[in-house]
Amino acid sequence: MQTFLQLLFSGLALGSIYALVALGFVVIYRSSQVFNFAHGEFVMLGAFLMISLVRGGVWWIVALLITMVVTGAVGMGVERSVLRPMIGRPVFVTVIVTIFVGALMRVAINLIWGGTERGMPTPWDNTGVMEILGARVLFNSVAAIVATAVVLIGFYLLFQRSRIGVGMRATASDQEVALGLGIPVGRVFGFSWFLAGSLAALAGVFLGMFPRIVDGNIWLIALVAFPAVLIGGLESPLGAVIGGFALGVVQLLAQGYVNPLLGTFGNNFHQVFPYVVMIGFLMFKPYGLFGTHEVERV
Amino acid sequence: MLEINNLEVVYNKVILVLRGISLTIEDGQIVAFLGSNGAGKTTLLRAITGLLDIHNGDVTKGTGSYDGKPLFGPDPDAIVRRGISHVMERRRIFADLTVEENLRSGAFTRRDAGIKDDLEAQYERFPVLGERRNRTAGYLSGGEQQMLAVARAMMARPKMLLMDEPTLGLAPRLVEEVAQVIKDLNAEGIGVLLVEQNASVALQIADHGYILETGKVVHDGPAEQLREDEDVKEFYLGVGGDGRRNYREVKHYRRRKRWLS
Ligand SMILES: Nc1ncnc2c1ncn2[C@@H]1O[C@H](COP(=O)(O)OP(=O)(O)OP(=O)(O)O)[C@@H](O)[C@H]1O
Ligand SMILES: [Mg+2]
Repeated sequence: MQTFLQLLFSGLALGSIYALVALGFVVIYRSSQVFNFAHGEFVMLGAFLMISLVRGGVWWIVALLITMVVTGAVGMGVERSVLRPMIGRPVFVTVIVTIFVGALMRVAINLIWGGTERGMPTPWDNTGVMEILGARVLFNSVAAIVATAVVLIGFYLLFQRSRIGVGMRATASDQEVALGLGIPVGRVFGFSWFLAGSLAALAGVFLGMFPRIVDGNIWLIALVAFPAVLIGGLESPLGAVIGGFALGVVQLLAQGYVNPLLGTFGNNFHQVFPYVVMIGFLMFKPYGLFGTHEVERV
Repeated sequence: MLEINNLEVVYNKVILVLRGISLTIEDGQIVAFLGSNGAGKTTLLRAITGLLDIHNGDVTKGTGSYDGKPLFGPDPDAIVRRGISHVMERRRIFADLTVEENLRSGAFTRRDAGIKDDLEAQYERFPVLGERRNRTAGYLSGGEQQMLAVARAMMARPKMLLMDEPTLGLAPRLVEEVAQVIKDLNAEGIGVLLVEQNASVALQIADHGYILETGKVVHDGPAEQLREDEDVKEFYLGVGGDGRRNYREVKHYRRRKRWLS
C-alpha cells in the first residue's frame, strides 16, 4: 500500500508536468489548428531561463513569473512572425514550419546557455520529503502538484468565464463568424500561444527538479507527453489534463510493478508503456476521451 | 446611410463575382436583395463586413461609404464598432457554447457596463432564449438558432443589420415569426439589408428591393412596385411562371415581343 501511494504521488507529480505540456499543445491546436512541434523547446527555454534568473539573484517566485511571461511572449512572437502568415495553408506545411522553429530555438538556447547540465534551484530543500498518508513524498512533487492545480484552476476560470476565454472558444468553434462579430482572431491566436508558452515554461521549471538537472535534451518531454494529448482528444483542454495525469500515474505504476517482472528487458519499459497504452486506447476510442464532441442537432 | 458605387469583387484573383454593383440604403430602411443561387448576395455582404479576405476575395473596383466614412477596410471589428452587424447564412451559432456565451461573444467589441442589460433585453425579446440560456446552443431547434443568431448580432448594438437568408430552411410559421422580428427591430430604428430567396416575404416587409443576377443589379425599385411588377411576379414570386430561367431572359423576351408587335 505504501509503495502504491508513493508511486501514485510521484505519478501525479510527473503527470502534472505532462498535463501542463499537453494543455498548451491543445490550446494552440484548438484555436489555430496548428500542431506545434516546437512545444518542447518552450519547455526547454523556460527551464534554462529560470535557472539563470535565480542564479542571477532574482527572488524565486518572481523569477518564475518572469520566466512564464517571457516564454509566453516568445510564443506570441513565433505566432505573429512565423505562423500568422501561414494561416490557411495545409496542416502539413505548418507542422514542418514548427519543427523548423523548434530546431532553431534549440540552437539558440544552446548558443546562449551551452548544452551543459545544470541543477534547477528550489527555494525548499530539493531532496526534502514529507509524509502523506504514510508515503514519503518529495517536496518537489508536492510543489509541482500544488502549482499545477492552482494554474489549472486559473486556466479554467479564464477559459470558461472571462471575456477572452469566450472569444477563444468562439474562435475555435467558427473562425469566420468570430471574425464577423468583431473578435480579433489574430489576437486570440497570439494569446493562445502566450498561454501555451507560459504553461510550457512552468512545466520546464518543475521538470528540471525531477532528475534535478536540466540539459539539452529536456525538450524531448513534448514527445513523451504527446500520448496524453491523443488520449484526451486533440481539442479538449480537460482531456489533455486528465490524459496528462493518467499518463504520469500509469507510467510510474508500470515502472514500479511491471518493469521488475520483465528482467533486464524491463529496465526502460515504463518509457514505452505510455505509447502502448495510447495505441491500445486509440483502437477503442480513435478520437480520444473528449474528441468529436461535435454538437449537432439531429 | 450606406452607399456603394460600382463595386467589383474577385475571388482567387480571377473569378469575377460582383460586376459593378451600386446601391443606397437610407437609415432605418429595410432593403431587400433578391437573387437566385450564386448571384453574389453573400459576397456583397462579405464585402461590406470585411470578410472577403478569409475567402481569398478582393474588392477590385468601386467605392463605398457608411455614415460618410469609407467602407471596404481590412478590419471586420472596425465595421462592427461602426454599427454594422452581419447575421450569416445558415445561422452559424457557436454550437458548443451555451446560449448566453453565444450572446456574450456578440458583445466582444464592447467594454461598457450595459452588456448585462442588453442580455436581459434579448431574453425579453426572445423568451425561449432566456429559458435556455445555460443550454448548449447546438441543441436548440432551427428556429431558436436563427433567433439566437439575430440576438447575438444585436449584442453589438448595431445601427444596421445585414441578414443573409434568415428564413432559409424554416417552417412557414417560423418564417412569419422571423419577418415579424425584422419588422420590430426596424420599428426600433435599425436599418436592415435583407438578403433573401423568399421574395414574397422579403418584399412584404421591405421598403425597397434590388434584384441581383450574376453579380449585377438588374432591377430595383420600391417594394410595393416590385410586388406588382409582372416580371418579378413571374420569376420570383412564382405567379404565372412558365419555367423561364431568369429575370433577364424574361425581360429580354418581353422587350422583343414588344418590338415585334
Ligand atoms: N470563397 C469563394 N471562392 C471562390 N468562389 C466563390 C467563393 N464564395 C463564393 N464564390 C462564388 O461566387 C459566386 C457568388 O456566390 P455567393 O455565395 O455570393 O452567392 P449567393 O447569391 O449568396 O448564393 P446563395 O443564394 O446560394 O447563397 C458563386 O458563383 C460562388 O461559386
Ligand atoms: Mg448566399
